Amino acid sequence: MKIFVSVKMVPDVSAPMQIKNGELIMDADRAVLNAYDASGVEEALVLKEAHGGEVIVVSVGPAKAAETLRKALAMGADSAVHITTEGLDGVESLDSYSYARILAAYYADQEYDALFFGKQSQDTDAGLTGGMVAELLGVPYVSNAVGITREADGGFLVKRQGDSGQEMVDAGTGCLITCSNDMNEPRIPKLKGIMASKKKPLEVVTLSDLGVNAADVQPKTQITAYGEIPARQAGQKFSEGAAEDAGRVAELLEQNDLLS
Amino acid sequence: MIFSHLLTVQSGGIKRSSLEVLARGLALADALNTNGYATELHAVVCSPEVADWTAEKWSAELGAYGVDTVWSATDESFKEHNNQALLAAMQTAHSQATNLEAKPSVVAMASTEGVKDILGALSMRLGASVVADVSEFGVAAEGDGLQLTATRPVMASKAQTQVQTTAKHVMVSVRSGSYGILEAAGGHEGGTPTHQPVKIAHLNVDQTDSKLQTQIREIITAAADTIDLNEAEAIVAAGRGVKDETAKALIAELAGVLNAGIGASRALTEAGVYDPSVQIGQTGKVVAPQLYIAVGISGAIQHVAGITNSKVIVAVNKDADAPIFEVADYGIVGDLYEVLPALIAEIKRLKG
Repeated sequence: MKIFVSVKMVPDVSAPMQIKNGELIMDADRAVLNAYDASGVEEALVLKEAHGGEVIVVSVGPAKAAETLRKALAMGADSAVHITTEGLDGVESLDSYSYARILAAYYADQEYDALFFGKQSQDTDAGLTGGMVAELLGVPYVSNAVGITREADGGFLVKRQGDSGQEMVDAGTGCLITCSNDMNEPRIPKLKGIMASKKKPLEVVTLSDLGVNAADVQPKTQITAYGEIPARQAGQKFSEGAAEDAGRVAELLEQNDLLS
Repeated sequence: MIFSHLLTVQSGGIKRSSLEVLARGLALADALNTNGYATELHAVVCSPEVADWTAEKWSAELGAYGVDTVWSATDESFKEHNNQALLAAMQTAHSQATNLEAKPSVVAMASTEGVKDILGALSMRLGASVVADVSEFGVAAEGDGLQLTATRPVMASKAQTQVQTTAKHVMVSVRSGSYGILEAAGGHEGGTPTHQPVKIAHLNVDQTDSKLQTQIREIITAAADTIDLNEAEAIVAAGRGVKDETAKALIAELAGVLNAGIGASRALTEAGVYDPSVQIGQTGKVVAPQLYIAVGISGAIQHVAGITNSKVIVAVNKDADAPIFEVADYGIVGDLYEVLPALIAEIKRLKG
């Protein structure tokens, strides 16, 4: 069994940040492995432990993205592929479409039982790339997976969280699955894993290796500015005892026409 | 230009989140038409045979939202969510509505799990630019295409971005609560049509099993009587402070008197205390009810990211320093076992 997991280096959303003149400034410039992708890696490792096989992690990004791949290798992935965007001139910033084009170009030449993606990036929450890649490759896909099992015939049975219930979807093989972080608790790499990760193969692939040029990956969307979200103000706080507080708040709800 | 909206209906009629998007579509179409840029409003309805709901009935309700053409795809494959079936129907409808993609188009949909599932793939299939999960959007003519501008929260809702894209075909998914429904149209009750008659076009969809690449084997549904959180006017949400059956019963009782949906924080859905379908936050549902009551929820940023568009937030928490109080309009510092019974009694009294 061979599973590729696409992973992305993202800014740490819990780190301090500020917005100045329409730009987002991350004070510490800390980058982490996207949490949803980490769930994809974890699930692939669990399946490998049960059924045998190979887990390969793939990331598109600048030189620094190699750190993210090393983290996934330290978790237990067998090998890594770094599709480097260094030297990509004339492209300001990649969007979901750009990433999808690059990843689809890579996966088109690979053989696999399944492709795992995080269901979204924790910085942008767009959740587009997985579906885009599936469409470009013409493979079946299931999004928002909260559980994945492999069946006797090698097919994948995916439990996905839908709008009002959970759907058990028979996705077959050669499918693409996007993973929710509700699926599992990604393991924290141990020292032994971290040491081992340094010796694991990490292949660097350039865009020209994939036959992709700057025009192919021109983003279709542009971020023109960052701004503050209009903050909610803390309102009134009551702590005079349950009966009195409840009476006060119920009255306020009534005045706001919320009890009709 | 074609403004097109996808609705899926399994039962019970058109959802509020869809009407919100249509209301925005109507406002945009009116403005563009006034400026001499001819704009049609279309709706694609994917549905199985639903008792009492015919294409004629869709059109009466959608006509009240200014919809000119309803594309009706009726097929058993829409009984459950299936991304391949929806993609095929949308592609057919889009191709016909835009006259083989000759006319520019905006495809706007409510940001539900079903739509999130197809958004990326559909954008590729239609050759469209897409912006996901926006809180505001606008459209203007640009060359022989369109420019879409949108606002969307990022960084766990600690910031927002202005995004723009210029293309012949653009797509957008819209967070629930971003736009109001039409008061005059009376929401779900239907109302006076503004643009009658609505043209009904039946889509011929062949969704035989062999064409669908994935198959749903089973649906694990939450209790059938639960209120859809995307639709709910009021939500009572439980967090870590809700520890036992007594507390759960109080949550249910408060929700009952308010006719509210019941939600939960990730801590409680992970622990299996509530169904995963009702998880609210960055990972779960993003909700925007008129009234949100957070009980025993501390207010981690991932949770708050899912509720900031609520009109009024009430928090009940033992810990006076809980971050939820920073976003709550009304906070009660106290023990939920004492506060909830008092609140339920007061609300019952005021409602008479």
